[in-house]
Amino acid sequence: MTRAKKIAWITVACAVAAAPFAASHLLAQQESDRAKQIGGKFMCMCGCNEVLTQCNHVGCQTSKAMLKEIDDAVAQGKSETQITQMLVQEYGTAVYAEPPKSGFSLVAWSMPTVYLLLGLGLVVFVISRWRKRGVPAAAGPAGGPAVSAELLERARAQAAKETDD
Amino acid sequence: MDIFGSFALLLAFVCGVYAFVGGIAAIVTRHPLLIKSARQAGIATCVLIFTATFSLVYLFFSENYSVAYVVEHSNRDLPNLFKVTALWSGQEGSLLFWSFLLAIYVISVLLVYRNKNTELMPYVGVILAGVQLFFLTLSNFVVSPFKVLGVTNAEGLMHYVARADGNGLNPLLQYPEMAIHPPNLYSGYTGFTIPFAFALAALLARYPGEKWIHLTRKWTMIAWGFQTVGILLGAHWAYAVLGWGGYWGWDPVENASLLPWLSGTAFLHSVMMQEKRGMMKVWNVWLVFTTFILCILGTMLTRSGVVSSVHAFAQSSIGNWFVGFLIIILSVCTIAYLKNRDYLKSENQLDDIVSRESSFLFNNLVLLVACIAVLSGTLFPVFSEWFTGSRISVGTPFFNKVNIPLGMLLLLLTGVGPLLAWRKTSAESLKRNFTWPLILGLVGGAVAFALGYREFYAIVCMTLCSFVASTIVLEFYRGARVVRARSGASWIASCVDLTMRNTRRYGGYIVHFGMVLIFIGLAGSAFKSEVQKEMPIGSTMKIGPYELLLQSIDQTQTKNYTAERMIMEVMKNNKPIMMLYPEKRSFPATNQPPGTMVAIYSTLREDLYVVYAGQNEENGPPVIHAFLNPLVKWIWFGGVIVVMGTIVALMKERKAVLVLSAAKEPASAPRLAGALTPTVTLREGHD
Repeated sequence: MTRAKKIAWITVACAVAAAPFAASHLLAQQESDRAKQIGGKFMCMCGCNEVLTQCNHVGCQTSKAMLKEIDDAVAQGKSETQITQMLVQEYGTAVYAEPPKSGFSLVAWSMPTVYLLLGLGLVVFVISRWRKRGVPAAAGPAGGPAVSAELLERARAQAAKETDD
Repeated sequence: MDIFGSFALLLAFVCGVYAFVGGIAAIVTRHPLLIKSARQAGIATCVLIFTATFSLVYLFFSENYSVAYVVEHSNRDLPNLFKVTALWSGQEGSLLFWSFLLAIYVISVLLVYRNKNTELMPYVGVILAGVQLFFLTLSNFVVSPFKVLGVTNAEGLMHYVARADGNGLNPLLQYPEMAIHPPNLYSGYTGFTIPFAFALAALLARYPGEKWIHLTRKWTMIAWGFQTVGILLGAHWAYAVLGWGGYWGWDPVENASLLPWLSGTAFLHSVMMQEKRGMMKVWNVWLVFTTFILCILGTMLTRSGVVSSVHAFAQSSIGNWFVGFLIIILSVCTIAYLKNRDYLKSENQLDDIVSRESSFLFNNLVLLVACIAVLSGTLFPVFSEWFTGSRISVGTPFFNKVNIPLGMLLLLLTGVGPLLAWRKTSAESLKRNFTWPLILGLVGGAVAFALGYREFYAIVCMTLCSFVASTIVLEFYRGARVVRARSGASWIASCVDLTMRNTRRYGGYIVHFGMVLIFIGLAGSAFKSEVQKEMPIGSTMKIGPYELLLQSIDQTQTKNYTAERMIMEVMKNNKPIMMLYPEKRSFPATNQPPGTMVAIYSTLREDLYVVYAGQNEENGPPVIHAFLNPLVKWIWFGGVIVVMGTIVALMKERKAVLVLSAAKEPASAPRLAGALTPTVTLREGHD
């Protein structure tokens, strides 16, 4: 076995030996990121009224404990739904950072769309009503009677007002 | 002085009652003496409120610890600046401060218009007195700031007691920004009372002409400007003090301040429809009413404990008073509208769907939907408790998901609206006005993508920001080119000249530009990163391109607090660039958790935001929490531009005059009276 081959074998052996450690570190990092991502969907229960990952209390023990709880659950391979159930059971529905997309909470999610659709309907109705309104005769026919000075002055004032923004 | 202040407040209430009742009698009888006396009573009410407020401030400075409010919010070692800010740090004082700011507005209106709008002003006076009376009732009989400490002796007699020192001010409020954030925000809230009074007065009095709408618009803009500054200062305070690395958490109090801002913004746009085309009168009146109602509703939400918030004042029975007041306001507005709705009939019709009018309608739609969405999200926990028995929280993720798309729509309309002409926009005009902004918008999006932006909304935001910014720049360019061709002045001088000739229009563009910068800053939040680490002295932490070295820790002691300060060197590419000193301050008098003093190294590209987060265990190494927040400085810079634009829009326009040569008018032509005057206003711009 040449020296180069020896070095290659040693490198491969080291890599194989180190792989479980590296993998576990990577896995832990991924788990921690996932815990953080899940934590962003719940409120901190210390009373700060902030999302769990954004608690503004210096050294908040509540958020720390809750994040650890999530961390542990992720490490145990629990799904997000299971973690959610676990937290809701422990802290009640006040733990949600956003309403769940089921039951009465659907009202919260659907309302903005309903407002937008209702508003759009109103705008379309208003526009169609405004457009249906009769257009006043702006000027007489060509060769018809001359425009009065008063009307002309009023038209000038109106034009000035409408173009000056 | 406590008795003096209390008496002044009571006298203010009596004068307020006279201004209200006497004012109504004056409207009915139209007796000049009664009108005058009601106005004078209104002025006296304001002066007495000033007296009461200064009395309370004096009590803080004179260390009068027999007054409960002073005991609760101050202590002997509190710096003088915070003895002033302590005035609005609690329920009782902040309500008096509210009356104080409202009194400044009321006395200004009563004095400025004392000989003007004689038909309208008695109504305005009565409405303002009515609003003042509500707050004076609270300050006199419900949450008096002049309550004294007392004990009952063996004979059952009550006598004064005075404490040796106070409980101190909440550490979170011991920050210089607290000296300007609440006054600005409250000036916004209270300022919306004036447009409300003018709008309701005009409706009640069926005031002829459009004068009232001009007055309403001006006062709305003043209140809106204060509200904007207040909101931004609040965001900056949260950023610099709370230490969680963000500036907006969709907290109920933050939402409450945003609601009237959104409806006020809608009004400032739709009012132009009424001024130009005599349209949307009903809508405008209700927008003004709604804005004022939202101010009161927001105040109720945060002071009654209906919704929980970090900001909210202690829960009290005060909420019922606000509910009563809201019912009265809503009833008066509805009755006034139903009785006089024919007064609000539109004068014009919509000529074309592709017009400035339509863009304002859609702008109002998006603003109002955002407003209602924020309101219903804020109230949803209460509704869910009513209907299901359990309280479901609504936090940042919900508000972001709902409001970011609406914000994008609004940004799009900010760019589209000014490019459309009143009445009708021709296809040729559309092509001419939209081609370059669209190209530049897409280029902006592409640049954002090339810079590594991968979040959908961040790319959309950057595209729209470039689009809107280019529409604004092109508007200035086109106008300045005309001015420059006439005057030969430089580009900058021409832009200034152009702006001063039409302050409303170009002030509005400056405000829009400021909003673009704010949106750029908001888009940056999608890319924030953070690191938290235990750092023994001499260790380093890496975040983005920066390396932080904890050199040492020192402790300082002042009369008011003790501070533990981290001395950290910031390095970039192995070169030291500056020192940062995040610290924790403990205020012994307050018995409250220590406050943070965040250290920020701010550049246009990003903020390096460092917090000393405490220790995991006693005598353990300090925990440092560092954030890299991209583009945050753009938000504050944009805020400054918005304020500048608002000030410009409030300035009087400098009218250019063009003298027409008499030779241009044929001598034989019959001269129409008033058709051509020797001087006409020179108007610039494409529409």
